[in-house]
Parts: sequence; structure tokens; C-alpha cells
Amino acid sequence: MFIKHPRRLFAALLLSLVLLTTGCATKAPGRFDQAQKESSSQRSGQAIAKDSTQGSEFNKFFPGNSDGYKRVYTQEKKGFSAANLKKDGKVLAVLSVNDTQGVKGTSNPAAKYQSASKQISGYPAIERGKQTSVLVSDRYQVKVQSKDDAFSPSDREAWIQKFNLNGLSKLN
Amino acid sequence: MSKSIIELTDELPKGGLTVSMLKSLDFIAPGEWKNIVGFVDTIEEVTGETDEDFIQEIGERAIFLYNDKSQGYQRAMWLYNTVDSSDTALGAAALANKVGEKIPLLGFLSKITPKADKAQTIDLSLKLVAELIAFCQINGIPGDSIGDFVASLGEYSGESFIRMAALVSVDGLIPLGPDFISKAMSSLNNTSPQELEGNSTFSGIQDAIPGNNASSKLNFIGESFDSVKGWMSDLVTSKNLTPEKIAGNIQSFVDGADGKLDYLAAFLDVSTNYYEHTGTQTLARRLIERASAEI
Repeated sequence: MFIKHPRRLFAALLLSLVLLTTGCATKAPGRFDQAQKESSSQRSGQAIAKDSTQGSEFNKFFPGNSDGYKRVYTQEKKGFSAANLKKDGKVLAVLSVNDTQGVKGTSNPAAKYQSASKQISGYPAIERGKQTSVLVSDRYQVKVQSKDDAFSPSDREAWIQKFNLNGLSKLN
Repeated sequence: MSKSIIELTDELPKGGLTVSMLKSLDFIAPGEWKNIVGFVDTIEEVTGETDEDFIQEIGERAIFLYNDKSQGYQRAMWLYNTVDSSDTALGAAALANKVGEKIPLLGFLSKITPKADKAQTIDLSLKLVAELIAFCQINGIPGDSIGDFVASLGEYSGESFIRMAALVSVDGLIPLGPDFISKAMSSLNNTSPQELEGNSTFSGIQDAIPGNNASSKLNFIGESFDSVKGWMSDLVTSKNLTPEKIAGNIQSFVDGADGKLDYLAAFLDVSTNYYEHTGTQTLARRLIERASAEI
């Protein structure tokens, strides 16, 4: 007989089948699993603090329409307001203000400015990827993000200066 | 538990009937819509960033925002899902056809029933209302601000634009004909609150519609329709859209729709979920835009 212990062989086959199927069924851990788990622990209030400044408070500090540039508000949520900067119908950049004290769950956006090596209009500034931003009154983050390749880092800096940063610094 | 934003975007199909239908409408605004699928791919597309650490931070922030119910994203997602009353069983049956072959409409004639004009009008109107409410949930303008919504329609681009173009095409022009706007207006005027309550899509989303009772909700639906009719008729005129032209493009994947536009509309209604598909894409885009600005 070729197979001396058919039962043992069967058990081994069964075991490998079980390992194979369960092994395949288990999903590889994903890079966002931790964030998904942490943010699911409560139903509401885990991302934005209740006492954040309302987004509508920020709108008046945005640059206005000028020289063919158009500002179109796109989002206004608690602690956050954003607008598209457009010219000839094309979105060149996204302008935004957010209350860093209202950001919960993920790391505090204000922390990165402690190591800021440059300033714009006297406020600590950070340039990263397609973004340039400043922190006003240690609290409000003003950011410009390029949406068009032609919109350069120096364009972003120039548009940050067009915000009423001084006015924003007096907002409490 | 409801699905995470990662699952929702990762599970969006790259092909199938819904995607074929949306692609067939590309002629309305060539290149306007890209079928962006997957959470990380969406972050890269929306932000243009390539640094992995940066993408990770944006993604984590987006996940927190989505899971915070007070931020309205989950309610918007629910609206997009609920208003898309698709019959997946028939969709799956249609998909069972060989890949790359056109789907013969003839094979489904016995399985589908064209909707009466009034039911179709209510469907069309409810989709518009859902769009208005979801827009406000996502972008944060108070839920009864029809004026802001209309102004923003002019700003609609990408997946939001193709959703509205599909609404006008497959929920307006094909089932109701070239005069679908006036037809729908008069049909809405002749709809009683009781008839509205008998509509299954309405019962699904009625809690989200402003108004204390069916009668005031019906008013809100009418006002919403009235305020976007100008935009819809501009789209029809400027792109010279006709039922025949749209059906002609849809023939790239459905065969035998000539003279059977009401059946084509019914078939598309039960076999596609374009509201849910593009709604997920719109929501993910806005969520990621916010996350990217906030971090």
C-alpha cells in the first residue's frame, strides 16, 4: 500500500486546507486601520471640538475678487472655511482658514510651526508639498494649496499676504 | 456597522453598467469626469501630493472627519445611497452577460416596467432634493439655503457635474421626453401629499427633507425643483441634448433601445446606481480637500 496512514494524511490535508483558507481570509493590516479604529470609538465629536470658531467667522478675512481673480467659497464647517481661487474659469488654488484648537483626534496642526524656519508677514510659515501656510495668534491656520502647476510657491506666499491676517489675529 | 470611507472608496467599481453609462455621457462635457477609485488614489488625485507620510496624515484626518457624525458626511452618504433605488439583482443579471458585449434590452422587457410619469417625476425631484441636502451636509451651508445651492451648481465640476448631467439625461429626458421640465412641474403641481407618502423613495428619505408634514415637504420639493429648472434647461439647450442623442450614446452598451425609451429608462433605473457611485466620489473629494487644508 502506498499510503500507510490514510487518516493521518487526511488530517494533514485538512489542516493545511484550514490554514490556507483562514490565512487567505485574514486581511493584511492596512495603513489606515489604526486611525479607523481610534476614530470609531465614539459616534460624534471626535474630530472637531464643540467650541471651535465657526467657519463663517473666517470668511471676511479672505482675499476678495480682483484683477480677474475670483474667490468662490466652497466649504464652511465648524472650525473651517475654504474657497477656490479661480481665473478664466480655472481653479488655480484653494484658500482656507481653520481653527487648529478645534482639531481633535489627529495631531495638532499648530505644533509644526514651532520648528518653522521662515515667516510670512511676521507669522511663522511652513511650506510642504503643494501647500504654504501660516499660523496666526498661535491658533488660526491660513493655507494656500496649488491646484495648477503654474501656481508657484511664491504665488502661494503672495496670496497668503492678501488675507487680512491682522484682522484674523484679533479674532477670539 | 456601516462601511468606512476607505471601504466605500476602495470598493467603487472600475467597470460595469454604472461606469459604462456615465462614460457614455462624456460627450456632454468631454473629460469632465474621471472614475477615480480607491482611497489613496483619491487623496493623490485631489491633493496632487506624492509624499507617503503626507498622504498618510491627510488620510487619517479624513477618516476622523468622516467618522465624526456631527460633521454630516455620513448623513450625506446615506442620502446618496437611499435615493438610488437600484435593484441590484437585475444589475447583476445584466452583468452576467459576456464582458465586452452589448446588453440586449429585449431580454429584459419582461422583467422591467416603465414608471408612470408621475412616479418618474417624484423620483427626479427627490434626487434633486437629496442633492441639495447632501450638498449642505458636505459643504456646510444650512439645509434650506436653496439660493446657495443654485449658485454652486454653476461651480459643479467633475463627478458632481456628471451626476447632474446623468440626472437630466436618464431621469429627465429619456423617460419624460424633451419637455421633461414643464411635464415634471405640472405633474408635481398635481401630486397630493398622500401620493408623495406612497412613494417608497420618499418614505426612505422623508426625515431629511425640511418640513413638518408631507404637505410642507411637498412644497419644499416643488421649490427646489423650481429653483434648479433654469440650470437644467440651460444644460439641455447649451449642449443641445435630446432623448434620441442620449439614447444613441447609451447604445454603446445597451442594444435595441430604439423606440423603447421608457423601457431603457426603467432598465437604467434598476441596473445602475450612478447617484451612489458619483456621490461617494464627491463626498470623498470634499472630505479630503478639507482634511488636506486642516492638517
